Amino acid sequence: MRDRVDVLIIGSGPAGLAAAEELARYRLDVCLLDEQLGAGGQIWRNTMPAPEWPGVQFNPSSTVVDVDVDESVSVTWLQTSIAGRVLRNTQARALIIATGAMERPVLFPGAQLPGVMGVGAVQGVFKQSGLVPRGHGVILAGHGPLLLLTAEQILSHGGSIDAVLELSRPGALANAIRRCPSALISDRGLLHQGLQLLIKFRQSGIRVLKKVTALQACGSDQLEQVQFVSEGRSHTLPARLLAVHDGVFPNTQLTRLLNLEHHWNEAQQSFAPVTRADGLSSHACVWIAGDGAGIAGVDLAVKRGKLTGISVAQTLEPTLSRQVAFDPLAAMTQLKNDIRRRLPARHFVDALYPALPVEHFATPDTIVCRCEAIRLSAVHSAIASGAIGPNRVKTFTRCGMGACQGRQCSTPLTRIIADATGRSAEKVGALRIRPPLKPTLIGDYLSLHASELDHSDANA
Amino acid sequence: MNSHNDSLWQTANSATASEPGGEIVLQVNGQPVAARSTDTVATALLRAGYAYFGYHVKTGRPLAPGCLMGVCFGCLCTIDGRSGMQACLEPVRDGLVISTDSNQVDA
Repeated sequence: MRDRVDVLIIGSGPAGLAAAEELARYRLDVCLLDEQLGAGGQIWRNTMPAPEWPGVQFNPSSTVVDVDVDESVSVTWLQTSIAGRVLRNTQARALIIATGAMERPVLFPGAQLPGVMGVGAVQGVFKQSGLVPRGHGVILAGHGPLLLLTAEQILSHGGSIDAVLELSRPGALANAIRRCPSALISDRGLLHQGLQLLIKFRQSGIRVLKKVTALQACGSDQLEQVQFVSEGRSHTLPARLLAVHDGVFPNTQLTRLLNLEHHWNEAQQSFAPVTRADGLSSHACVWIAGDGAGIAGVDLAVKRGKLTGISVAQTLEPTLSRQVAFDPLAAMTQLKNDIRRRLPARHFVDALYPALPVEHFATPDTIVCRCEAIRLSAVHSAIASGAIGPNRVKTFTRCGMGACQGRQCSTPLTRIIADATGRSAEKVGALRIRPPLKPTLIGDYLSLHASELDHSDANA
Repeated sequence: MNSHNDSLWQTANSATASEPGGEIVLQVNGQPVAARSTDTVATALLRAGYAYFGYHVKTGRPLAPGCLMGVCFGCLCTIDGRSGMQACLEPVRDGLVISTDSNQVDA
């Protein structure tokens, strides 16, 4: 099945929704895709009704398989519904990528054991299905606002937490205040929220173990114990769930597939696509909105989405601005100023919760690429043999060649190589991404072909 | 063991005890497993006490979901005869047949 729209938006989180709403005001045809069951992204998971703006067709459970851009955009996507699975192709004049953030993988022995997951994953289970971990053996390990919020949600909804292991870096608070004094006035709401979370966390009475090193998960078929050193003392705690969190970074799988220009964000220890303030990427048909262009949080994701939506509408149909009930140029200026004014607060959060060094907990046997079971020692041997880029390491070892297609190991791999060779992460680069963007059955490809045959029969 | 009793994941205090709409029952390894309409296959399996949904194609070790949002591929299982499906992205529907015994596909 093939169709044609003005704008295709991938991702219906805060930024994608905001962009779609703006484009609907211009009466442009929009196709909004999301691979989750509903709209809202991670932050608004299972809270948003399906968008019903004129001209916007919303497609949940729709996975992007391939994207091609030249003078226009061609997106091939797989839709799953009660009726079955259909591969579709949509042509558009512009593409907005709003694929948001993902949790930064943490390398430590035993991280691949069942029972170890991200703190964001635990929160996702709560939002999606109203479930919280309860009973003995629930341990959270990490740092940052999402960990504090999730701990609060677990406890206030009848769940339990045995201990929180603080993985923070010493001196981060002083560093954050020194580096970003302007943050304290740039977004008082955000800082107030953060402070409230910290106070609630301290008052909750959870057992907190500080300055944690040598973290490891142990067990045979699943997690049984968590071992670590805290303030010089070794600990072993029985465990059924270990939820880990070291912040989030942009999910660049799609922007890297398109070979857009990227830069290394030192504060967020990850690549991000290079964009103008309005989200325009290095390709004239492609915009990036929200956290996918660098983490700035939900409030700014909404503003970045709106700004991108208006900018795309202005670019495609400059004459339509007379038909909307507001002054688009003034609105864009206002949004840009708001975003610029509030960004220092994000820089403060970045400095307060800096990413842990990539090999902080890793031993030579620690797995870097779970899908292919590639250990750190194998990656280091490849580097020592001359593989000084991620794609060489991939060729040498199969690191990044498995089912997740490098989503988990690409960023750690870049950092490992940069640390080992003394080259900048920017120069080291990232794993190349190739289509299909997600593993796709040959049978699904045939469904696109079959529907075209039907279509040509109907026209004959 | 992949236990089915004493589940780690319990219904939150705030969640409604029952919900409108028909009952959804999945067939997991031949056993009935109740699910809720907002569940994904992954959250339904976690509620039912499944600690892992499949086995690593190379190591043969059990493998379980790590992200619940489609980026880690730890939740792959066999759904309605298709292997290598991401359980965290799959909506539940009455009668869905799921197997967590199979080895994962080498994608």
